[in-house]
Amino acid sequence: MSFPGAGLAKGLAVTLRTMTKKTVTAQYPDVQPVLPPRSRGVIALLEENCTVCMLCARECPDWCIYIDSHKETLPAAEPNARARTRNVLDRFAIDFSLCMYCGICIEVCPFDALFWSPEFEYAETDILELTHEREKLREWMWTVPAPPALDPAAEEPKEIATARKAADKLAAAAAAALEEKGDDA
Amino acid sequence: MNLLDTVLRCLATLVVFLTFPLVIGQTEHKVMAHMQGRLGPMYAGGFHGWAQLVADGVKFAQKEDIVPAGADRRIFQLAPAVSLLPYLFVLLAIPVGPNGFVGQAVDAGLFFVLAVMGVGVIGKLMAGWASANKFSLLGGLRTAAQLMSYELPMVLAAASVAMAAGTLSLPGIVDSWQWYWLPWQIIGAFVFFTAGLAELQRPPFDMPVADSEIIFGAYTEYTGLRFALFLLSEYVGILVVSALTAVLFLGGWHGPMSDQLGWLWMILKTFALAFVVIWLRVTYPRLREDQLMRFAWAVLIPLALVQLALTGIIKVAIS
Amino acid sequence: MSPAATLLAATGSLEPAARSFLSPTGQEIVFLLVGIAVLGSAVVAVTTKQLVHAALWLIVALGGLAVEFLLLTAEFIAWVQVLIYLGSVVVLVLFGLMLTKAPIGRSPDADSKNRWVALAVALASAGTLVTLVVDAFRTSWIDLGAGGGSAAVTGASLFRNWVLPFEALSVLLLAALVGAIVLSRGDKRRVPAPRAGKLRAGRPVGSNGTVAATAPRTAPEAAGSAAGSSDAPSAGSSDAPSAPAASEES
Repeated sequence: MSFPGAGLAKGLAVTLRTMTKKTVTAQYPDVQPVLPPRSRGVIALLEENCTVCMLCARECPDWCIYIDSHKETLPAAEPNARARTRNVLDRFAIDFSLCMYCGICIEVCPFDALFWSPEFEYAETDILELTHEREKLREWMWTVPAPPALDPAAEEPKEIATARKAADKLAAAAAAALEEKGDDA
Repeated sequence: MNLLDTVLRCLATLVVFLTFPLVIGQTEHKVMAHMQGRLGPMYAGGFHGWAQLVADGVKFAQKEDIVPAGADRRIFQLAPAVSLLPYLFVLLAIPVGPNGFVGQAVDAGLFFVLAVMGVGVIGKLMAGWASANKFSLLGGLRTAAQLMSYELPMVLAAASVAMAAGTLSLPGIVDSWQWYWLPWQIIGAFVFFTAGLAELQRPPFDMPVADSEIIFGAYTEYTGLRFALFLLSEYVGILVVSALTAVLFLGGWHGPMSDQLGWLWMILKTFALAFVVIWLRVTYPRLREDQLMRFAWAVLIPLALVQLALTGIIKVAIS
Repeated sequence: MSPAATLLAATGSLEPAARSFLSPTGQEIVFLLVGIAVLGSAVVAVTTKQLVHAALWLIVALGGLAVEFLLLTAEFIAWVQVLIYLGSVVVLVLFGLMLTKAPIGRSPDADSKNRWVALAVALASAGTLVTLVVDAFRTSWIDLGAGGGSAAVTGASLFRNWVLPFEALSVLLLAALVGAIVLSRGDKRRVPAPRAGKLRAGRPVGSNGTVAATAPRTAPEAAGSAAGSSDAPSAGSSDAPSAPAASEES
């Protein structure tokens, strides 16, 4: 493999082989891309979970989250009890012309109200229209995929572990009761 | 040879002149794309972008025709025509099939073809000088230097075939072609095809239009239809060089059932060579200017002379 | 159509049978017209003040001559004319003009002071040639049969009757070729005294940047000096192999 011009022939072979292979071009507008599960397309809001704790707005590095809210007083449930107050969300908006997709807001949200959605086709012709209000953010919530399955060898999630522990305890108790009954008989 | 016959032949040549380069151009789009793992044009015309070059033509026709203020107006505007028309005349003389299937049989056809092809380059020189642009001027200079270096091996390689056939007429050369010419003239074929590529300024010999250093050489200042004419001349050039190589070295219309299907063999061989032209473009990087000159003078011309000597020896031995 | 040609055409019908110069065929009229065009473009080529236009008019004149050859059925000569004169000589001329940056528009120095002498010489040589041809052929008639100037006929005549001049010419060309090669190769032993020494005199070795910046030299030498090798012989020897390459480019 060292005759003169071997390199030239090799080059020709490479291009010819590439021609017979499948191309890698993505036909994007016709064929939607297959995105990985953790794609950072847009930030979706599950406003039912939001408690207006303002953590996201405060942690945002470029302050692109706008939150307005008011307090509402709930009448006391029982006599002698104090009236409860709770926060009601008036406005939740994210300015995607400022957002740098760092995901800190999603990380810090203690109540799982913010999620990454793989939706990425929300270009606008005016930069002002890139500030999306909570209705739009709530709509994107429908595009959030289910969390990816855990590794087969991964530790069990905490919720399932506690639930299973409780169930195991119950089952053990039931089994013990059954045995006792059997002994009696 | 009545008038109708002549008109028909000219018309057929004109149709070939206007359509085949587009086919080659589209093939280049698609082949180059696939060789680079891409798809190439997919939308224009619906099916795999077949009408891309038509769309390009429409776009070029809509562009403003600009002549730079400092340019030599008349020559600037004349240059594309000078560059394009010679290829039309060359096409007229290329035999397609046996029994006079040729635009116009020229007695010294080989000389005619080489001579007229050389004239086309004058158009590029005119463009380079008249644009009043230093990059154009550099492109023109490189064009001229390249043409003068590569014309010689091309003519020598063609002369070798003429010696073997004992005629300068292109149909005559194909007529006397035998299968053993293939190994006999293989060096000449290489020299002719390579020099042809260089004369067309196709990659890897595209130093005169090297876009990364002199923008687009002689065509830098051109816009719209005139620019399109220059591009068209490049693709007609591919057609002409491929067809000439097929005629001189690959036996033109020779092949199974050449009496009925001769034209098909000729077209197949031409397009196979055009594919090679595209293939080489995709594969190899551009030669540097000094490498270009050294390749012509130190490789191609000695090879052509060796081929000439070989042809002479074998020709004498045979007869 | 020029007045002379119309006159010829008008008088030609008087004696259709006789082979005289006054009974031109269509071919002869075209020959005459093309001849006038060639003459006109040749005159423009030498009188125009725009250098490149002169070269381009030369193309028209030489191409017209090729057409004249064709009309005389000298097909082979016509294509050789196009190949050599249009394809190579004019390209060489244009190349030279481009190298010397021929300006667009008029060149003020295009007029030579001895133009009248040149005109006199041109007229004298033209007169001599025309007299010679007219006197040599007189009224003899050459039949222009088709194929009379084809490659086969030209070749046979060249290699049967005119072998000696042909070979003498080829020896002349070979001598020119050898001379060109000798000139371009130069003398290997006469390695040019490097300009580097002059430019670098008095500079400290360490000042690489200034040396590379001020010395107007080729890239490999500049690289060498930047690397700090300041001895002149090595710079000279690096110059030697690049000399043939430079001559090839020109």
